[in-house]
Amino acid sequence: MTSLEVTDHHAPPVPIGLRRLTAPGWLRVLWVTPLFFGIGLGLPVLVRWLAGWQPVWKGSVLVTIELVTTPIGFLAGIGGFDYWAHYASGRPTRPEDHSGHGARSWRDYFRVNTDHKVIGIQYLVTTIIFFCIGGLLAMLFRAELAQPGDQYFNPQTFNVLISNHAALMIFLFVIPAFAGLGNYVIPLMLGAADMAFPRLNALSFWLLPIAGTMLLVGMVVPGGGPSAGWTCYAPLCSHQPLGQVFFNMGVQWAGASSIMTALNFLVTIITMRAPGMTFWRMPLLVWANFTTSMLVVIATPFIAGSQFFVLFDRVLHTNFFEASGGGYVLGYQHIFWFYSHPAVYIMMLPGFGIISEVISVMSRKPIFGYRLMALSLMAILVLGFSVWAHHMFVAGMAGWLRVPMMVTSMVIAVPTGIKIFSWLATMWEGRIRFSTPMLFALGFLSMFVIGGLSGIYLASVPIDIHASDTYFIVAHIHYVLFGGSVFTIFCGIYYWFPKMTGRMYDERLGQLHFWLTFIGFNLTFFPMHYIGLQGMPRRVADYAGRFADINLFISIASFGLGASTLVFLYNMIRSWAHGPIAEGNPWRSMTLEWQVSSPPPVFNFDEIPQVVGSPYEYGVPGARHAIFGTPAPEPVAGAAD
Amino acid sequence: MRRGSLIQLTAIALVAGAICTAVALAIPWLPVDAGKEAHRIHFVFWFTTIICIGVFSVVAAVLIYSVWKFRAGPDDDSDGPPVHGHTGIEIAWTAVPAVLVTAISIVSAIVLAQNGDAGSNPLIIKVTAQQFAWTFTYPDGTTQGSLTIPEGRHTKLDITSKDVIHSFWVPQLSQKQDAVPGQHNFLVITPTRTGTFPVICTELCGLGHSVMRSHVTIMTAAGFAAFQRSGGKAPAGPPGLAVFQQNGCGGCHTFKPAAATGNVGPDLDKLKQFAAQAGRGPLAAFIKESIVTPAAYVAPGFPEGMPHIYGSQIPAGKLDQLVQYLAAGSK
Repeated sequence: MTSLEVTDHHAPPVPIGLRRLTAPGWLRVLWVTPLFFGIGLGLPVLVRWLAGWQPVWKGSVLVTIELVTTPIGFLAGIGGFDYWAHYASGRPTRPEDHSGHGARSWRDYFRVNTDHKVIGIQYLVTTIIFFCIGGLLAMLFRAELAQPGDQYFNPQTFNVLISNHAALMIFLFVIPAFAGLGNYVIPLMLGAADMAFPRLNALSFWLLPIAGTMLLVGMVVPGGGPSAGWTCYAPLCSHQPLGQVFFNMGVQWAGASSIMTALNFLVTIITMRAPGMTFWRMPLLVWANFTTSMLVVIATPFIAGSQFFVLFDRVLHTNFFEASGGGYVLGYQHIFWFYSHPAVYIMMLPGFGIISEVISVMSRKPIFGYRLMALSLMAILVLGFSVWAHHMFVAGMAGWLRVPMMVTSMVIAVPTGIKIFSWLATMWEGRIRFSTPMLFALGFLSMFVIGGLSGIYLASVPIDIHASDTYFIVAHIHYVLFGGSVFTIFCGIYYWFPKMTGRMYDERLGQLHFWLTFIGFNLTFFPMHYIGLQGMPRRVADYAGRFADINLFISIASFGLGASTLVFLYNMIRSWAHGPIAEGNPWRSMTLEWQVSSPPPVFNFDEIPQVVGSPYEYGVPGARHAIFGTPAPEPVAGAAD
Repeated sequence: MRRGSLIQLTAIALVAGAICTAVALAIPWLPVDAGKEAHRIHFVFWFTTIICIGVFSVVAAVLIYSVWKFRAGPDDDSDGPPVHGHTGIEIAWTAVPAVLVTAISIVSAIVLAQNGDAGSNPLIIKVTAQQFAWTFTYPDGTTQGSLTIPEGRHTKLDITSKDVIHSFWVPQLSQKQDAVPGQHNFLVITPTRTGTFPVICTELCGLGHSVMRSHVTIMTAAGFAAFQRSGGKAPAGPPGLAVFQQNGCGGCHTFKPAAATGNVGPDLDKLKQFAAQAGRGPLAAFIKESIVTPAAYVAPGFPEGMPHIYGSQIPAGKLDQLVQYLAAGSK
């Protein structure tokens, strides 16, 4: 362990000759990935040939193995394992030269980079790409649904579109976009130089493009794509075309990424807070990611299990969920929802954190009831694990479970209500600035109230029995996940855009984007409540003629909603390149990330902040969140990991 | 808070509440209820709606009032009053929602218990779901592709599935239950209105999910007695037609002789063409192979979506009837 000079960060040494092929990077990807692909192909074929099993080339087996080995080859090629492989081989530790830390040019965003700020942006850009793809899929099936009957897609293609729309939006957009925002902001808010495990952080990002590519490739493989819905219920999904295996494995890679990030967040928050940063002085965004990470770490292994079990039923002919072989069909749903209900909070709590930051800053008032806000997050964390079976009220599970699960689902409205009322009280008598982040925060507040109230209907077992698996559900989840999560992601992106890029976005375009999204969103999803209650089931390519007009209306509105994203993309790309230079603290916020330059120095803080008070003391004369003064120590070679 | 602002706030809340109430009443949100259970579910729905309109109006009023009154001017750099919280208010907005959701829970639990009560003498009908058809079996053993039940009597459906998960739903009866392979689930319905209503599969069950439809006919008690005396006769026509209908072939396939118009799988009116195209032996053999081992040959342009269960599900004699029927009817 030797300390290094920080005055100059070396650019990565440029390898020459054959070294270029063995140095981590895209050239090495080009030969290591095919190598691992070959191993994944050759081994099972060889074993089957030696054992005399027919057919020697068995698609589902080969694909399952390939979807493990090929990504490992890619990760090895790009350099995700270099440090650990070197360490495990027992050779002497290489002094860390920080050459893989921080971005000096755009090329550094396409490398394994250990800087949480680079990783945060890698996350956000990647997830927005998948958001656009997922949105395009939605517009394709809305085109089909504009009229009853079959127009453009056969039922197989339609089912693939709805399945992958949801899977991309959930696993490749909402969850990792929050991980990206958290990645960028949390170490800065804590006064830390980086995450606790920077190399693990880099690896967890590079799993994402793998998962996304897998889901997309699965759509077009011979035989057909995954078409059992994103919930992928057994036994239907065990008998789907080959593309289903890509789905099952894609979810695994996304899940692994999410678990790694959550562990990183937990350790960072617990161990790397600046001096004086007690838990009760942490910004609520940090609290939110703390609870979210606990949800991820506890719950995500369950979806991994559920996807492995259906895969085993298919490939290994186990009978986890095959009734004919003694399996328990509803077991899949219990395991799946034991993850996927907490996943709703994984997709919601980080958004709550963002909203708390933005509303307090933009209203120029301390957050109302800070401790109760933090405690209500913890309450949601605990209750979140006791409500999963409300997704199964009509599934035929043990009858006695229905009422207790209804009660817990109802009770979770209480901590959620506390948060909503506290945000309103924070705004009360404030000095509110209606900048784009604040507009999205208010949009979130109003839409999430509607989504929360329709959630009360669905928590009530009798109403759920009527509304389950109809368009009412589609409306509800979009009010929660679009009106809730997506609005908060936009809110966060606009809020931290000046910090991340050092430039300001175009405020007029931002407001235009908000209003187009807000109106398009309501026109698209509000009518779905009605058609659902009236009798239109979800996930159908064809429907009764009496719903034709309203579906046409919804489809047109959805195209408008999709088009509003173009304003966002144009604003982001143009402002990133040519926007006016942003000040260090354009919002006059008290939290630590705004006390450094925009974008921040490579190791975040030149002086260690000494935290002396709450992060939300707006209007309190002379109040400080932190004071600076102690020079930061030089980063240590081989630190962390 | 000043008195004036309290009055303004209340006024906004009342207006918001009035608008919500108007929307709730003007739009026919729920289908006409055709059963006692549906009637009770509708009661819970409106009970919840009243509470939700109240909550929404309060939130909307505070939000609108704040946006209206607390907007900072363009050059206003001042901060708001440093209020950190108020224990009394925080207790109130924890307790009041808790009371409200408890009330909804109690009403819901009571209705749930009532809706599960089939009385002492229910009519028990077995419901079997499969890709992509419903079969209803009556106590006397007759089976039908649609459901016929009497008004005013508890009917208990004994629901199961042969392949994947399906879900039985009649919007006008509000009751819904998944059909799960290897498991028998029960659903009670007590019709109060005669008429014909759609039976909809609400659980994604494969390629024919959106066409997995049937209907329920609710008759007067006397009408139902007459229906039962007639034995719920098998449909007239060649024996193969009955097999065709019982197995739900029309859910996916078009076949004019059976008035079937499904368009998930190949058009069976053109079976002869397909057989020639496939070149897999004589027509009857080709049809039989396509039913028993559908993966052996998949018509170009169609996904491999035909369920593999019919070989074991349809008895040999009936299978021959079906093959003959299809061969005779195709061009």
